[in-house]
Amino acid sequence: MSFMQPIPVKYACSCGILNPINKLFFCRHCPKLRCGYCVCHEIESHFCSNCLENIPSSEARHKKNCCANCFDCPCCQHTLSARATTVAVVRKPDEAKDKEAQSGAGGESGSTTPLKPSSVPATKKMYYLSCLSCRWTTRDVGIPDQGVATGTWPDNECLYQLRFNSLLEYYQSVVLQEKQDRQEFLRRKSPKQHKFPSLTDRTGLTVSLIRRQIGWNEKTLPKSKPISISPTEATADVEQLPPDIFTEPLNLRQVTTIAQRLSQPRDQPTAVGNLYPQRRSLWIKRSLRCRQCEHNLIKPEFHPTSIKYRIQLFASHHVPEVVMVRCEQPLKSGQKNAIVVKITNPTMYDMTIRILDALPEEEEQLTTEMLQQACKIKEEAVTSSPLLRAAGITLTRQNSTREIKREVNELSNTLIEPLESEFVLSQRDDSKEFDEDIQARSEIEEPKFIVWRKGNKVLLRLQFTPEATSKISDEVVLSFYMQYTYVNTVANTTEKKEPTTQALYSRLFIQAGAIEKE
Amino acid sequence: MPTENSIKIMPKAVVCEETNLRGDIIFSSGCVVHPSATIVAEAGPIIIGENCIIEEYATIAHRLIEGANWDSSNILSIGTHNVFEVGCTVEATKIGDKNVFESKSYVGPGVTVTSGCVVGAGIQMRTAQVMPENTIVYGKDALQREAIDKQGSQTLQIDFLRKVLPNYHHLRKPNYDPKKPRSVV
Repeated sequence: MSFMQPIPVKYACSCGILNPINKLFFCRHCPKLRCGYCVCHEIESHFCSNCLENIPSSEARHKKNCCANCFDCPCCQHTLSARATTVAVVRKPDEAKDKEAQSGAGGESGSTTPLKPSSVPATKKMYYLSCLSCRWTTRDVGIPDQGVATGTWPDNECLYQLRFNSLLEYYQSVVLQEKQDRQEFLRRKSPKQHKFPSLTDRTGLTVSLIRRQIGWNEKTLPKSKPISISPTEATADVEQLPPDIFTEPLNLRQVTTIAQRLSQPRDQPTAVGNLYPQRRSLWIKRSLRCRQCEHNLIKPEFHPTSIKYRIQLFASHHVPEVVMVRCEQPLKSGQKNAIVVKITNPTMYDMTIRILDALPEEEEQLTTEMLQQACKIKEEAVTSSPLLRAAGITLTRQNSTREIKREVNELSNTLIEPLESEFVLSQRDDSKEFDEDIQARSEIEEPKFIVWRKGNKVLLRLQFTPEATSKISDEVVLSFYMQYTYVNTVANTTEKKEPTTQALYSRLFIQAGAIEKE
Repeated sequence: MPTENSIKIMPKAVVCEETNLRGDIIFSSGCVVHPSATIVAEAGPIIIGENCIIEEYATIAHRLIEGANWDSSNILSIGTHNVFEVGCTVEATKIGDKNVFESKSYVGPGVTVTSGCVVGAGIQMRTAQVMPENTIVYGKDALQREAIDKQGSQTLQIDFLRKVLPNYHHLRKPNYDPKKPRSVV
């Protein structure tokens, strides 16, 4: 893991965007690197990040993606917490009833009155919401304390609520009507092919005919007419400003900030007295899907409290990780230099790694072909798979933005010397981490460029020359291809079941630093 | 600054021995001072009101302005029911009642803290100003707002500390009783 921020080593994703390895995914089926831009994001589950309650998606939609129990502070957007206070309740029979009426949703105090009518002070727990960050409380805006900690907090109804509701209703019915019209149109355009045409044809009975004969009305639903709403009218008459706005000094503490207004979008209050606790927005768990082969790359466990994954194809678990260690000399333009990088094999299989300065020609052709093919596959996939067709609109749009092959050549401004030979990086073995002695491999003659080796890690010395034209304080970027053998345990074809070894290429960019002064 | 410290502790105040006290300081009854709190009365005496809590690593300082000398009439008076949370530094000129100085906050010289104010965690108040009553300063942008009611008193916390602190720390003995004319306890 590199602790340098920003991380100087970047991998080119198959879509051409540069990313550090910890932001990349690896599709084992393709097998290719994928980044957040070239995968399909799907909502796995909704949950509240405060109470960690899982909420089904239909319920989440019904509740407008808000948690039913948790509130955010309208003042500082922190989470509110319920605080309990004990209120002394004097239990005289008639007085208790008064108290009950005052406190609104009281609850238990009114029902227990077998006590003596004498004024025995009893306590009762009342709850209010308080912000631990800015000490805002529900008492500040006059929301009465509640007898129950959750569930009974009133929703603040804003002035336009009725209008909102009627508009919502109207547009829902408009959508419904359009849908019906479309179906009607389709039905009329292409007469529905009956599954068993012979049966009804023989008897000459159709469903609608039978229904009419036995006196039922037509099966088709009566057309729903959208309820009429009164359109909003623009008016030129604006109320005059109140006169005291010019005379009274402005108290900025009574005016809400932009963030406070936007966090309460329904009425966007201008005075702090109108801030009400806001229901907390839900969070989602996301699953990521490769767009090319439609396999899941990331699938989290369903339960909100779990941070584990059911499927996790992070690139750092499959692709050798490259970390920049140091440059041997100060960076000077046109001067030969060497960089030491550390390569780690994260897989359970030995890897053969080559460092190349360019992609072999046939491979290059292959990748462009593959890319074109991939585009085609995806077009088909979108139209063929029913699941994706349902979400077709969004997907096709995403596709069209994606498949531009980004050229990243111009980023590099160094000449790199490819390593003369390939080398083997042994598998990951957690127990070897604790071995003190250097293993037997060191007896074999190591290639010259290997500086150090232990277990699945190796330090390499790569020679490079920054371009002679680069000026002082220009960023030096190294670029090379890393070819590595990857043992794929998933079978791409049905007939072959044993793991296959593939030679994969990754393009890497290392920001080595800036050219130094002479 | 006088060469000798004069520290008066009223009865029922709990002042730990490992505190760092310098100058002329009066603790009213009911105060709780945790170990390794620092109170420096350089410019003049400090009078701390009833039921204040001064937590660990809190610093209350009455600093000398350059060129000035110890002046026994230049009193830093701190009101009642104030809470100085862990690691705060308070050099205010005057402090009222029921204020809370949250952890790691800093209140510089020249600031007058009235009553019911809260200086949020990590907030730095450096300009000379008068904080109006019930001001709450919070967040990383040090936004201010006005609370409707004063902060609740910490009676439960004080009672608990008064019970627990003597079990684990050596205390300074109360040495001054206002009821008795001769200050011998």
